[in-house]
Amino acid sequence: MAERAPRRINLLQSTPLRLTVGLISMFALVSLISLGAAYLVIRDSMQQSMRSDLTQEFAGFQAAPTAGAVAALVKAEAAVTRSDRRILSYTAPDGRHYGNGYIALTEDGFRVLSISKDDDLSQLTYLAVSRPLYGGRLTIAISRAQIDNLSDFFIKILLLSVLPTTAIGLTAGLVLARRTARRIRAIGDTLDKMAGGDLGARVPKLSGRRDDLSFIATHVDRMGQAQQSSVAALKQVSADIAHDLKTPIQRVAVMLNQAREMPDLPPQLEDLMHRAGQETEGIVATFQSLLQIAQIEGGSPKSRFAPVDLAVLAATFAEVYEPSAEETGHSLTVHAPADQQFMVTGDKVLLGQVLANLIENALRHTPDGTPIHIRLARDGVAVVLSVADKGPGIPEPERDNVLRRLYRLEQSRTTAGSGLGLSLVSVIADLHEARLTLESNEPGLRVSLRFPPSEGAIP
Amino acid sequence: MKILVIEDDKTTGDYVAHGLREEGHTVDLVENGRDGLIRASTSDYDILVIDRMLPDLDGLSIVKTLRGAKNLTPVLFLTSLGGVDDRIDGLNAGADDYLIKPFAFGELSARVAALARRPKLTAQEDTLHAGDLTMDLIRRKVTRGDVEIDLLPREFALLEHLLRRKNRVQTRTMLLEAVWDISFDPQTNVVETHISRLRAKVDKPFDTELIKTVRGAGYRIEAP
Repeated sequence: MAERAPRRINLLQSTPLRLTVGLISMFALVSLISLGAAYLVIRDSMQQSMRSDLTQEFAGFQAAPTAGAVAALVKAEAAVTRSDRRILSYTAPDGRHYGNGYIALTEDGFRVLSISKDDDLSQLTYLAVSRPLYGGRLTIAISRAQIDNLSDFFIKILLLSVLPTTAIGLTAGLVLARRTARRIRAIGDTLDKMAGGDLGARVPKLSGRRDDLSFIATHVDRMGQAQQSSVAALKQVSADIAHDLKTPIQRVAVMLNQAREMPDLPPQLEDLMHRAGQETEGIVATFQSLLQIAQIEGGSPKSRFAPVDLAVLAATFAEVYEPSAEETGHSLTVHAPADQQFMVTGDKVLLGQVLANLIENALRHTPDGTPIHIRLARDGVAVVLSVADKGPGIPEPERDNVLRRLYRLEQSRTTAGSGLGLSLVSVIADLHEARLTLESNEPGLRVSLRFPPSEGAIP
Repeated sequence: MKILVIEDDKTTGDYVAHGLREEGHTVDLVENGRDGLIRASTSDYDILVIDRMLPDLDGLSIVKTLRGAKNLTPVLFLTSLGGVDDRIDGLNAGADDYLIKPFAFGELSARVAALARRPKLTAQEDTLHAGDLTMDLIRRKVTRGDVEIDLLPREFALLEHLLRRKNRVQTRTMLLEAVWDISFDPQTNVVETHISRLRAKVDKPFDTELIKTVRGAGYRIEAP
């Protein structure tokens, strides 16, 4: 029995989406690393150049000859410098302060304490140099705003480049995944149809596409084509054989009939011809069964499958055979709990043949008066049909053999039958994905068919 | 009735034609498909008996062509194939009935007769009669003379089928199809046993026998 394939492919399991997500994560990671590295390098070099600017500027003040000259320079420069950009501060030897901000020494360096104007500078950070000069102390601080802006700038780059790329990539990946999923589903559906016996099923074509999926689709189609033609060939062969064999058998039947119509036939001859007629019927029955087994094995379509109520079918066949059973003293009973459903999906005619063959086998191979039970039961969601008798049964080692074509047990060689009944039951069971078991009924034989849950059945 | 038989095997064709003529029908016998189609579409027949495998043009194509041309003459297919698929193929093509080779003439004759009367679905009747037997379809009661006969539901259905086709042969396979909806031939003679049970109730206690066995064919209720 084939394991059922999942009906739908989860989008998250789709290869294109997984590939897209992987690629985008990689891209985002690489972008983050390179942007981060660039940021660090640029920040470092900016800090470097700020430091050298500071040193140079300090050197410029150092060039002034006296403390008074430094004070004058600082005063003049501070007047034209915005304090949020640059702060100049000179504390002269006499304690007077010049510049556009007060900078005081703290434990970890210098801090802007206040600025002549009322600007709130607490949010700003500075890079400062402070050294004694002519008995006083000159401090120059440059705003770090540029460096701080740099990180904002990099964050903006990150947002503008990586995010849209990721979003576009993911969307494209989803679209691709859905399209691929659709095509994979189309291939899967086609394979399901072929497995269900519709060998004419082909993968729907998408125009102008040449990729790996269309490659697979082409091969699926080619496989279907090959299978279809081999089944067609088999059908043709069986049709030819049937025709070539049955035409002469028909002629024999016709001739026997004509001979029996002749007047004044001696009784022995009449009896002989009657028996010859019965033999021809036997030949036809055997041939018909072989042909049918071959046809079912060659891929009988499941398109005719419909819900079948096994309880109703079992009751019908028990009723059909009941008078025949009674003639030989067999009792034929059906046990099917009325509060349960025994619906299966299948071919009603073939399932009827299963019942007919099993009942006929039981009638034929058990002594007169043996009870025969047809039983329907549920095993979880599965429906189990069994025909059991209290006859001699089949020895364990022979149970597989009796399913072989034309195989007959030694003790039943003399009874009527073609040796094809159970083979036919077996191929019909296979067609319905039902499990066929032969077991001891202690004593006797029990033949059971366990049907898979029918689609849409109420458990 | 005027019957066209299209059958390429001479022995079978002659046998069928001869048998049908003996029953009083006018029979034309054609041995290949193309001539068969020409005959079938140019003259008026009551029944067409067509073999499925024919030289020149196969039986399925003949029936499809005729049905395509709105020719609704009843068709009985003769076939070597007996699979369910083949049966359905044939009926889908437009055949009305299907007979698997080898067949007994009785079977063919009964089916031809059934086909000929097919369209005439009689109006709803309340009672059926045969001799002194009366079947009340509404109260579901069967009486013979003054005696009421107790029948099981399926025995009632079997008797009803035979009564509705009074004086016409019904073969075992026809009865299996109509009464039990079984379209294959079981190896055990199940129909015989049902008929003998029915006879035990309907015929045995009385003087005249209504249900007659027709040798090599089937059963028939013979009564005015």
